[in-house]
Amino acid sequence: MNRDMGQRLEMLLEEVQRPARYTGGEVNAIKKEWRPGRTAFCFAFPDTYEVAMSHLGMKIIYEAVNAREDMLCERVMMPWADMADGLKAAGIPLYSLESRRALSEFDAVGFTLQYEMSYTNILAMLDLGGIALRGGQRGERAPFVIAGGPCAANPEPLAEVVDAFLMGDGETATVQMLEVIGAGRREGLRRERILLRLAGIPGVYVPSLYESVWHEDGTLAAFTPKVEEAPARVVKRVETDLDAACFPAAMPLPYTEAVHDRIVLEIMRGCTRGCRFCQAGMLYRPVRERSPGKLLEQAQALFEATGYEEISLSSLSTGDYSQLLPLIRGLNERFEGRRVSLSLPSLRVDGPLQEVLADSGRVKKSGLTLAPEAGTQRLRDVINKGVTEEDLLRAVREAFEAGWNSVKLYFMIGLPTETDEDVLGVAALARKVVDCYYALPREKRARGLKVVVSASTFVPKPFTPFQWAAQDRLEEIRRKQGLLRNALNIRGVTFNWHDPETSFLEACFARGGRELSPVLLRAYELGCRLDGWSEHFNFQAWLQAFSDAGVDPAFIAHRAREKDERFPWDFVDIGVTRGYLWLENERALRGQTTPDCREGCGHCGLRRFEGMCPE
Amino acid sequence: MKMLVVYQKLGLHRFLGHLDLQRAMQRALRRSGLPVCYSQGFNPHLLLSFAAPLSVGIQGEREVMELPLGEPVAEQDFLRRLNAALPEGLKALQARLLGDDAAPAMARLEAAVYTIVPREAAPELLAAVPGFLAQTAIPCLRKTKSGERMDDLRPLVYNLLVKQGALHAVLAISERGTARPDQLLASLAAFAGVAPPRCAITRAALLDGRMAPLEDP
Repeated sequence: MNRDMGQRLEMLLEEVQRPARYTGGEVNAIKKEWRPGRTAFCFAFPDTYEVAMSHLGMKIIYEAVNAREDMLCERVMMPWADMADGLKAAGIPLYSLESRRALSEFDAVGFTLQYEMSYTNILAMLDLGGIALRGGQRGERAPFVIAGGPCAANPEPLAEVVDAFLMGDGETATVQMLEVIGAGRREGLRRERILLRLAGIPGVYVPSLYESVWHEDGTLAAFTPKVEEAPARVVKRVETDLDAACFPAAMPLPYTEAVHDRIVLEIMRGCTRGCRFCQAGMLYRPVRERSPGKLLEQAQALFEATGYEEISLSSLSTGDYSQLLPLIRGLNERFEGRRVSLSLPSLRVDGPLQEVLADSGRVKKSGLTLAPEAGTQRLRDVINKGVTEEDLLRAVREAFEAGWNSVKLYFMIGLPTETDEDVLGVAALARKVVDCYYALPREKRARGLKVVVSASTFVPKPFTPFQWAAQDRLEEIRRKQGLLRNALNIRGVTFNWHDPETSFLEACFARGGRELSPVLLRAYELGCRLDGWSEHFNFQAWLQAFSDAGVDPAFIAHRAREKDERFPWDFVDIGVTRGYLWLENERALRGQTTPDCREGCGHCGLRRFEGMCPE
Repeated sequence: MKMLVVYQKLGLHRFLGHLDLQRAMQRALRRSGLPVCYSQGFNPHLLLSFAAPLSVGIQGEREVMELPLGEPVAEQDFLRRLNAALPEGLKALQARLLGDDAAPAMARLEAAVYTIVPREAAPELLAAVPGFLAQTAIPCLRKTKSGERMDDLRPLVYNLLVKQGALHAVLAISERGTARPDQLLASLAAFAGVAPPRCAITRAALLDGRMAPLEDP
């Protein structure tokens, strides 16, 4: 950024909300020198700074790339609307926080795909950063736009935007992609040649090397590589040993408060439960644990580097971590007297809850959060949420007895086979939770009961047993929400729900194919951005975009698929096979549960790969 | 015993809000390993008080904060250890060990010195200063929780000088009344009949009732 532009930026920063989001210069930020031979990578988070700085993955990749002498990694996030408009008006390109260089100056810009509703932010960031929106329009000097993260498992809606996707864990593979890009540029290779080389890295998908053919009815007929360098199947990457995997010893410390502003320890990756709606549960298999010794070491280093007041444990199912009690004891011992509290999010109710609660006397009391997901046992069996009402109520009772007064309950509306009885079951369960509280003698219970019931709208996701299922139509979701709203008029209970339009669009981008790229580009043209923020979400503009691009969103969201329909994401091998997912789908419809795979192999497909899944 | 610390908030760090600054200082103190104290109660927090919050966008050259210490630390040691944990823009400049009976800086605070530099030459604004000060009352619209009300700014402007194209103002900042530099600018601009110019504003010092620096009790 030249001097003149720098001055315009300072003026702009005086006008926008929370300017500390755009200044960089945080404690522990790494600013490396730009020099020939050093590949410049910008990690791009397509949501606001506060969300981005809560994301562990960004900090891991930041560390992994910056650890390399021949690479540098900087950060950029989606500016809030006032800043985005201000940058455009002042003629300042979107810049990285560390060196304030335009995104267009980097060798590669990498987006993490955490959420479908962040896709227009990717376009906004590319646009503001001076990078052509379509991969095919990028010139020889333009950065390579790469992407990874959970939503990359169905990369097709972004096929025209992203040059190369990575499937699976990014610690090792991101660095390999940057090696190929850096070496290719130093050799003076043309862009197309570098893309071919990227396609040769295991786990990497280069969409421009493939083509899709559709049937008359709009379903996919064929999906094939156009060149021999592009593999017909792309197998996801897996870090098999988390103790050996890169983990940051320091994290840039945000000045302005992040959503989750604390030390995060990733204790485990993957989940063996097999909830049938849960994409993460399938994508992140197999389960891998980090050892308590390694975690204590990381916690110590992070505390010294940040001064944070709180540590949280991150995983899909913290209660299943086999070393939970030794870890909590170790953390308590190590941080005794240093005023560091421990928060334990989303514990499964059938975990060793009682012991953990008893042991957490020195742990911050944040309230009990439970996710029964469905209101009746029948529907919980359908989704394979192996939790009974007894389990739930026992956990609630124990929490109330231990002096807690607030319980959060998470549910979904619109699950396959759901009836009104299932919907009303949510209210019945909430009522029983309230009863548990009042069953305690007045002097034994904490005052001010607070039960929060949240109901989200079910979104069928790729790589789950429900990838064949239809999503409920908007009016049906609204009817069910109304039903529940009436039934939940209970003292002490708060009901939270969302307008279903966002979930409808999520469903479209979760299971759509590359025909959605033009829809996305059109929506951005029509002004869509920051779609995950209700004050910016413009559903009418989205409907217009679908209509202009000639794509029927209802066909993607609301249609149940035939067993053998070809899916846009079939070429991605996440380890779990399509055959297994179909069996699980059939078992779901019969109301049959499947045990946790630690109790016996369910043959999900991971064992096809040697060493991936422990016996 | 407690430590009074003079620090700066310069450059990009002027964009920190007061809560951001508080958090940054608390975490720096925690990283430093200095013998800080915590409040009692269920959610103990690090005891640290600031003489006067500074608005987002304004630089501070000699800001003041105070904290009780659990055990004695030499002033130079304190300074060295804290600065090892602070970024350059928030550097600590001076540390003074005070007795527990010393009145809190916040209570002694009476006024602040501001330097207000228009980003583009503003001759009409600067020329209006003598007439502005000659007024017996300076009406100033103030936004409150319940709406807007008219205040008199005149008794809160202790001094206002023009030097080398910049305004140097001493403004009241205490329980009895506070004038902010943006209010002064708005009133002066209205008096001069011009739009308030964009300015770079710096708080140069905090003063006690003797109009002496707060850090020299």
